Amino acid sequence: MRDSGFRYLNRPVRRTEDRRLVTGQGRYIDDIAVPGVLHACFVRSPHAHARIVSIDTADALALPGVVAVVTGEELAQWTKPLRMAPPIEGLVPVEVETLPTTTVRFQGDPVACVVACDRYVAEDAAELVQVEYDALPAVTDMWRALEPDAPQVDPMVAGNLVSHQTFAVGDPAAVEARAHRVVEACFDQQRQTHVPIETRGCVAVWDLGREHLTFHVGTQVPHPLRTQLAARLSLDESQVTVISPDVGGSFGQKIALYREELTVAALARALRRPVRWREDRLENLTAAANSREDFCRTRAAVDEHGTLLSLTLEMREDFGAYCFFPANYLARVVAMIVTGPYRVDHYAYDVKIVLSHKCGNAPMRAPMSITSWVMEGTMDAIARELGLDPVDVRRRNLIAPHELPYRTPTGECLEDITPTETFDGVLRAVDYEGFRERQRDARTRGRYLGLGLCNVVEPTTYGSRFYKAAGISGSGHEASWVRIEPSGIVNASVGLGPSGQGYESAMANAVAEGLGVEPSRVRVHMGHTDVAPYGMGSRGARSGTAGGGALFLCAQEARRKVLTIAAGRLGVDAQALRMVDGRVERRDASGDDAWLDTALTLADIARQAYLDPTSLPDGLTPGLEFHLTYDPPAMTYSNSAHACEVEVDVATGAISIARYVVAEDCGTLLNPTVVEGQQHGAIAMGLSGALFEHVVYDEAGQNTTGSLADYLIATATELPDIEIIPMHTPNRTTAAGIKGMAEGGVMGALGALTNAVNDALAPFGVVATQHPLTPMAMRDLLRGRSSRTG
Amino acid sequence: MKPAAFSYHRPHSLDHVLALLAEHGFDAKLIAGGQSLAPMMNMRFAQPAHLIDLNGVPQLDGVRLDGATLVVGALTRHHALATDPLVASACPLLAEAAATIGHYAIRQRGTLGGSLANADPAAQLPLVARTLDAVIDVSGPGGARDIPAADFFVAALTTTLEPDEIVTAVRFPCACVGDGHAFELFSRRHGDFAIAACAVTVTVSAGCFERLRLGVGGIADAPLALDEVAAEFAGARADAAVVERIAARVASLVEPVEQPGISVEYRRELVEALIARALTRAVRRALNET
Amino acid sequence: MEKILIQLEVNGEQHDVRCEPRKLLSDVLREDCGLTGTHVGCEHGVCGACTVQIAGRPVRACLTYAVQVEHEPIRTIEAIGDEGRLSALQQALSDHHGLQCGFCTPGIVMTFDAYLRENPDPDEAQVRDVLSGNLCRCTGYQNIVRAVLDAAARLRAENADA
Repeated sequence: MRDSGFRYLNRPVRRTEDRRLVTGQGRYIDDIAVPGVLHACFVRSPHAHARIVSIDTADALALPGVVAVVTGEELAQWTKPLRMAPPIEGLVPVEVETLPTTTVRFQGDPVACVVACDRYVAEDAAELVQVEYDALPAVTDMWRALEPDAPQVDPMVAGNLVSHQTFAVGDPAAVEARAHRVVEACFDQQRQTHVPIETRGCVAVWDLGREHLTFHVGTQVPHPLRTQLAARLSLDESQVTVISPDVGGSFGQKIALYREELTVAALARALRRPVRWREDRLENLTAAANSREDFCRTRAAVDEHGTLLSLTLEMREDFGAYCFFPANYLARVVAMIVTGPYRVDHYAYDVKIVLSHKCGNAPMRAPMSITSWVMEGTMDAIARELGLDPVDVRRRNLIAPHELPYRTPTGECLEDITPTETFDGVLRAVDYEGFRERQRDARTRGRYLGLGLCNVVEPTTYGSRFYKAAGISGSGHEASWVRIEPSGIVNASVGLGPSGQGYESAMANAVAEGLGVEPSRVRVHMGHTDVAPYGMGSRGARSGTAGGGALFLCAQEARRKVLTIAAGRLGVDAQALRMVDGRVERRDASGDDAWLDTALTLADIARQAYLDPTSLPDGLTPGLEFHLTYDPPAMTYSNSAHACEVEVDVATGAISIARYVVAEDCGTLLNPTVVEGQQHGAIAMGLSGALFEHVVYDEAGQNTTGSLADYLIATATELPDIEIIPMHTPNRTTAAGIKGMAEGGVMGALGALTNAVNDALAPFGVVATQHPLTPMAMRDLLRGRSSRTG
Repeated sequence: MKPAAFSYHRPHSLDHVLALLAEHGFDAKLIAGGQSLAPMMNMRFAQPAHLIDLNGVPQLDGVRLDGATLVVGALTRHHALATDPLVASACPLLAEAAATIGHYAIRQRGTLGGSLANADPAAQLPLVARTLDAVIDVSGPGGARDIPAADFFVAALTTTLEPDEIVTAVRFPCACVGDGHAFELFSRRHGDFAIAACAVTVTVSAGCFERLRLGVGGIADAPLALDEVAAEFAGARADAAVVERIAARVASLVEPVEQPGISVEYRRELVEALIARALTRAVRRALNET
Repeated sequence: MEKILIQLEVNGEQHDVRCEPRKLLSDVLREDCGLTGTHVGCEHGVCGACTVQIAGRPVRACLTYAVQVEHEPIRTIEAIGDEGRLSALQQALSDHHGLQCGFCTPGIVMTFDAYLRENPDPDEAQVRDVLSGNLCRCTGYQNIVRAVLDAAARLRAENADA
């Protein structure tokens, strides 16, 4: 944004984290040395579904170096089960034991835990634990799972249907009946997993004297995790401290309190020894958390010009065997926002969430990732069926600027978004007409280029009013404190849980901007529940808006008190003062917009506030410490438009990406450097998902993708350079105009890439509807078909 | 994922290696580069009681010319094969193939002997050895012997090496001036194991194929050399139409195995495309040379 | 299994380590030598996070049993840079925002520190080829590539001046 009036925001800044990370001096969970610590290793079910008949731990216990071997029975005595029963319509309550005592529900389900002097011995002992299973039939397919005779995954969930939600506004059926055409399209997104390069892990230290648990764990949500941990261990929240160190990526996988983590905490208390656990990659790929695996079918009623008259969405998601999150939560967002930036009055959805004998789901960067692929794929389907240009179809249906604020069919209020502008921006950048010419020319030479477009409206920050309206318990607020120390240096804190997003500099910028000091004078502390205020943590893309917003507003409060003190000291009105780079400036009495340095610094004010409080103006209390909670608007959006150019090698099915461009509006940027990195990372994850990733369970429920040689993520040779066109406009309601971002890239990439591939294959009359877009799948589509344009 | 316990041995001569193999037999595994074995051990799919480390054995090193043969020691690293000027000039197909193995760090450790003894059906070096009719020098308790590549690879991960034998060197025929070569590999991502690969050499004379070598890997239990097809097209014009026919012929003859997600049909189509591309490049190289 | 005594030379210093033959070099460096900059990401040689240098060559520490590399010069991330000054590559990674969570970063630094000595003037395709052996889930690789090319240019300029 040009000339936003900010001194520190919207300006690229080097990250303060870099120095320690680039020299290998970061401190991740496994780097924390704890004297006398024991190592845990879990024994896991080889079966997808089985009754646990018996567990014999004698041989394992007899191995030298083994201290304990526990099962679900002991854990049931030491901990309370998880009850997941939020009052949400259509959601069946479930209860999850800490470790299963009777039945295992997926291959990798933990059934016992060995504690030994090191991980090597613990793994040796784990092999000696003898578990007798009675194997049961498994269901690994979300269509089969709803058949009446399918094996039941959870006795509390009849028919494996854990959530069923429907909605309708207007009368889509009637509209369809009289429409020129009803266009149907399908979207089949595969099961994936997060693959942070650092797997899960934790260290539990029980202080017997103080009866206090210190739990080191990489987490996005330090305080909510502490609340959960204390409750499950029947401890007071004041008896538990959660400390999140440097985290090697999370993407949503380090939010829930996992059974392994709870087990380790309980063991530390029971054994009166510190216990640590580091998940290995096999466990991470098969037993941490899965994600996605959604199927969507849309029906779009249109007129002969491609005007969207009504839309219905049928959606089904395979949630796996266990619910560590409300099962409806991820898919619900898709159904709520799928219409995106498009105008439509008649809309209905039917969303089913199904259980199966697979690892349970957790939100993965852009849990609603399928959304834009669905809507933009629907737009392309309309264009294809009516023989219209896909750009024209979109333009016809895009909500125009003068129509904002726009209330969507599901009641969402779209405001301060610029989808028309970003769409225009990206089309200009890719030279749409020029591409069509190149495409025509290439086809005559037997080469198949494609261009895919995808408009994204990304919900980034959920305020508490959103949860209330949706009938979900929970809050969207964030908490902060700012303390100016006697020397004038600034400490601050916020309840977020960083996992690589560069908060230290971004959040310091927010404080710097609010207070009027250089960011280098601000240090932000996060991840320690005794230090940070109680916040909701990092998830979705809320950290910028909610966290940055809270710090900005808190710092502004600090500035007000500082200037009031300065005003008293200088004998002028506080309105005539401002703080710039830690120095107090006074408006030039001459009336020009000129400011004069007063020689008074923040350090001077701080010393006075702490050491000479009786000299403060009436009504002011000693010190300079401020606390603030901030509840952002019910929903905040950012938007982007993505364009991807590909070439499909029709002989081998290989897809290569020639170009990727994104025009984005993310509002005020806490640190543009970080925003660019987030956009790269989100788009990369989307492209990787569309092309390579796939958690594959065979029919017996065996996970066949348990190594990084089988579960493929994109490397440097598969990804393009991403060209970013910034088109930022501030949000008029949020603190500092921040909108947030970080997930929209995933949404855009899935849609842009798939649409590009389909554009390339158009001469063959085929459409890819399933991810991943493997070379084999491309050949399956093309086999026996010839190009109509010769 | 920690390996099971083992006893470690670091012999300093070939004789010592053989003595250890004789003593421990099936309880022992040889480790050279370790880039294939260590993952298996860390995942506990392999649990040898004895690990015999070859990295200290001097007789297994070295690359040299012996007349019209390139003799490559078993312990030669993939990176050396990919970058040694002697290999590049004497056996360019070997150099090109080695450069595609895994990734830069993997190639620093992985060895020729290890790759051949492991006999992964998708591996590059077994394919090159088979295509070029290389000879594998082997040492055992009974002394040294030679195994032609055609007789060495039996099935997936299975060779005709006895449990008490080790590969000491491999002999590759040197390329002739004016020969062309090409190695083509198709995988999901850069550095992944081949879904299909092919290795070809051509000798072109007066615009015709005087001699052809055609090898296909990654699709069956062991690398294949299409000697009959090579003979069939000896003397044919080295042009695009013939290249297409050769590719179609090879594709029709091979019998790819079925794998989850990768159909027999797909592999066949892939082989056809790869052979055509490889021959086209090889011919271009041959013509540029002369 | 019995522990044995081995002598490792790490970053120019001698370490006497008592460990089982099966202990991975990655674990020995981290636990016995106290050098936690080498990170463990997969233990099957794919992610590259554990890359160190042995005799100047980049090697996966997770695929090496510590006992195998006694007396060989081992170099880890802790040896990169000079008395608190970042190396050209470390500086470039920060300049170009080529790291986010930082977990894969040491492995990338060790890989390219070796590669750029062997090939001081790579093009982008070569950089991506080498980088393909290090998995990053945060950055999409683009800025890492920029950083490596920039570092290579800086090093060439430095060596030209020298």
